[in-house]
Amino acid sequence: MKQVLETDGQVCPFPLVEAKDAMTGLEAGDELVINFDCTQATEAIPQWAAENGYPVTHFDRVTDASWTITVQKA
Amino acid sequence: MIITGLIVGLVLGFVVQRGRFCVTGAFRDLTLTGNTRWFSALIVLIAVHSIGLFLLNSFGVITLEAAPFPWLASIVGGLIFGWAMVYAGGCATGTYYRAGEGLVGSWFALIFYALFSAVMKLGPLAGFTEGIRGITLDNGSLQASTGISPWVFVAIIAAIAIWLTVHHARKLKTPMATLPPRKTGLAHLLTEKRWNPFATAVVIGIIATIAWPLSAATGRNSGLGITTPSANLVGYLTTGDTQLVDWGVMLVIGILVGSFIAAKASGEFRVRVPDKGTIIKSIIGGIGMGVGAAIAGGCTVGNAMVSTAQFEYQGWVSMVFMIVGAGIAAKVSIKPKKSQAAAPAAESRTV
Repeated sequence: MKQVLETDGQVCPFPLVEAKDAMTGLEAGDELVINFDCTQATEAIPQWAAENGYPVTHFDRVTDASWTITVQKA
Repeated sequence: MIITGLIVGLVLGFVVQRGRFCVTGAFRDLTLTGNTRWFSALIVLIAVHSIGLFLLNSFGVITLEAAPFPWLASIVGGLIFGWAMVYAGGCATGTYYRAGEGLVGSWFALIFYALFSAVMKLGPLAGFTEGIRGITLDNGSLQASTGISPWVFVAIIAAIAIWLTVHHARKLKTPMATLPPRKTGLAHLLTEKRWNPFATAVVIGIIATIAWPLSAATGRNSGLGITTPSANLVGYLTTGDTQLVDWGVMLVIGILVGSFIAAKASGEFRVRVPDKGTIIKSIIGGIGMGVGAAIAGGCTVGNAMVSTAQFEYQGWVSMVFMIVGAGIAAKVSIKPKKSQAAAPAAESRTV
């Protein structure tokens, strides 16, 4: 299953706070697509994924100062 | 040659933007998630700066001055500043560089921070600020009150910094995901690649060290500082008094421009207008930061990087209370939306 989380317009730490919250409702193997436009989250979200051993299946820019990252629950 | 302030500011603005260096995040995470990674990077920065400052002092390049310890102002100002920076979404420097990234919420925070630092330092409340900062204890630093050589403390903080770096380098279970590269060579390194927080910390520690003699050469015997320069900038803009335009004013202008250049070159600049609630929080946070930093005698730079590096009690005590203030604000104001909706109305009003 793939769930999309829109956090555009939210400043840090809210994209990560929302992502953590959304992740609790997912099953192992499910993917969470997080769209965000807070620059600092390009560091904070991959860092959180790495620390928890969650694989990142997609991470790219959308436009200027806008990103999308897909984190799989493990 | 106050123009060197502009150059240092440009470089610093570029580095903090690219490095995503966020002291607010560092302090907030200690309470919010228990994550010590960014706080550890700050300790590394302090250690590098400390080594640099005491080397320059030993060689007679600069003269570090002993100051008393304004204990009440450090506690009160630190608490207010720590609380406010969570509302503003970034400390003073963080707000400068986020403003450079095009975040309109940070424009509001920056304007109110600078305005209220001027109110507290040059304006009607200058007497109050002076009064509370006049409540002091003698011997404002560890070396002054213990009589031990500062190099002992330099060695201790350097050892802690090395241990923290090794600890965090070993901690990651899997390598961090990075953006697919589109640039090569220097352009990739400077305007695309992810910067390791610890590497960024070392670079900022070096910039901070170089800043001191450059600033001292213009008659301003101190290092990096954000609050007094911001107050002076407002003072100059409203009175036209060119005496206020010193090395520090050039520094803060440089930070704003440098972060804009970094963001623009990296495809990370976009004018982003937040919702009503965020704008109000940014304004309240900006006011609190101006008031808090003026009372505490510095922000996360002047106190938590420069004063700490000299082992002054003002720096360390205000930093501890900034962490407490940030922790209170994080607990009160940072919750996922869903949980906010579930919270009682009285509580959600504070968000």
